[in-house]
Amino acid sequence: MSPGSAEVRPPPRQDPRVRLLGRLLFALWVAGATLIVFFPLYLVFMVSVAPGSALFGERPALVVTEPTLWFWRRVIERGELWAPLAKSLAVASATTLAAVTIAAPAAYVIARLRPEIRYPLVLALLVTRMFPEFAIGVSVASWFARLGLVDDYAGLILAHLVGSLPFVAWILVGTFAGIPPELEQAASIDGASRVGALVRVVLPVAGPGVAVAALFVWLYSWNEFLYARLLTTSQNTLPLQVFQAIDRGSRQQMAAVAAVLVLPIAGIVALLQRQLRPGALAGAVRG
Amino acid sequence: MRPTGSPPAGHPWRALAARVRRHRLEAALVLPLFTYVLALTVGPLVDTVRLSLTAPLQGGFPSLANYRAVFGSPVFRTAVANTIVVALLSIFLQLVVGLALALTLHVRFPLRGLIRTIVLVPLGVPTIVAGAVMLLVFSRSGYLNAVLFHLSDLLGVVPGVEWRFQPTSWTVAGGWRTLATVAIADTWKVLPLMTLILLAGLQAVPEEVYEAADVDGASRWQRFLWITLPLLVPYVTIAVILRAIDAFRIFELALVLAGRVEPVLGTYIWSRYGPPTSDVFTAAAAAVVLFALILVFVGLYLRVAAGREELAA
Repeated sequence: MSPGSAEVRPPPRQDPRVRLLGRLLFALWVAGATLIVFFPLYLVFMVSVAPGSALFGERPALVVTEPTLWFWRRVIERGELWAPLAKSLAVASATTLAAVTIAAPAAYVIARLRPEIRYPLVLALLVTRMFPEFAIGVSVASWFARLGLVDDYAGLILAHLVGSLPFVAWILVGTFAGIPPELEQAASIDGASRVGALVRVVLPVAGPGVAVAALFVWLYSWNEFLYARLLTTSQNTLPLQVFQAIDRGSRQQMAAVAAVLVLPIAGIVALLQRQLRPGALAGAVRG
Repeated sequence: MRPTGSPPAGHPWRALAARVRRHRLEAALVLPLFTYVLALTVGPLVDTVRLSLTAPLQGGFPSLANYRAVFGSPVFRTAVANTIVVALLSIFLQLVVGLALALTLHVRFPLRGLIRTIVLVPLGVPTIVAGAVMLLVFSRSGYLNAVLFHLSDLLGVVPGVEWRFQPTSWTVAGGWRTLATVAIADTWKVLPLMTLILLAGLQAVPEEVYEAADVDGASRWQRFLWITLPLLVPYVTIAVILRAIDAFRIFELALVLAGRVEPVLGTYIWSRYGPPTSDVFTAAAAAVVLFALILVFVGLYLRVAAGREELAA
């Protein structure tokens, strides 16, 4: 990742032919592995434009020779794309806003605590990640049903906050801990109030960290399936729409909805590339 | 919520009250998060335990009837066994392939940045989409069968080879085939995470250690076996714990790929909770068992890992 890190150096004394063979095998392995990792993503887009005949028989073709938008049109006409897309976008964006608003102030305070209090607190936040969603969801869903929050945007946003707050807080504690307290002290000497110093001095410096945390929440909510399934009976989100297409739909319909779901991913991963510390990832990405 | 450097005070309660008063701002900033976690994470968890101990038909609250019902069910016992098999298989696959990819990306070669990005993308792909794609790969007229067909054609050219490929639907075949599709799908999805953690471990190995080994005339393989691997152990531990927590909870992939043939705990809970069963109580009991399973595995693994470190020290 970083330049100048320990690299594997070629061992001394080698036959040039052996070295060439080694390089060739290495290139083959890299190409093969990349291809296998990439292939499923290619499939999503390829199948979404495949005519019905291309997917049957014992050897489905790996390349579509006569692409068709028929299934895309069908998915759109039957209202299986725009409405779920709108719901997914709205829920993901509202969840992101709420998660950062709730977690950022708390993370700031936790970051300024003495380590012997800070570590157990952060650990406790992480332990909540170990709870199976079912162990929370079963109770939350029956509770929300009584409150009339099923099929409600607010209910789903509240549920997605359950899953995202701990890791947002975790990422942000790291961000704020990296900002020297002297910065605020300097601001208050200059006559700023404590809240003023936080908003005008600390927040701008924390900006990039907050943005990364926000992207992770957005991605989590955009991808989330279980809570959405437990709390939805009428209007699907995009992941639920994919499941419905798996359950009773054609492969092309399934692939078309899945393609819309995947589309923003490449951009987000590219944006997050430089920020992909395993620590943050481990908290944010679910299997 | 005591910030750094508060002065020690007389009576503990009065000191605490004074501190809270002095740090009203901090308390106000922290309160929303902690209220939320208590109300919507810890609360529901406790409530689930309560539900699991409630049996309305068999005598009300403290009752083990749900657990007896659940453990008496052959489907549940299969689900537990399947969950453990899938979890262990996928963790093993992810460690091996993740290590191979991490070692590869640790070497400097042209296009490394591009390839790293491609390898990372599945990280953001929704799990349900991973399931959908793997359905395309593993079904009867799927792409794995297509590849195997071409392979058997290629081998058919070789004289003396009599292998003819018989297509199967991997997802509905049941048994190890179906469980393997779930593990492979999971591996594809989380490989980037595994690779990044192990890559971080590789980059943390100081160059001097390798130099010392070179002086001692160690071969490349010896260096890997006796230096790289032992130094990676802490990273492997983190990766295995993180993955285990998620692997036992596996739900969407199992629902899509194995839902009709092989139950896992996630899909079992789902079938109890959802219609037509709609039994919150046994669903809660199974969810508690799942949580216990995660705790037991993480505990066991930590003991084994700690024991090994003591041996090495």
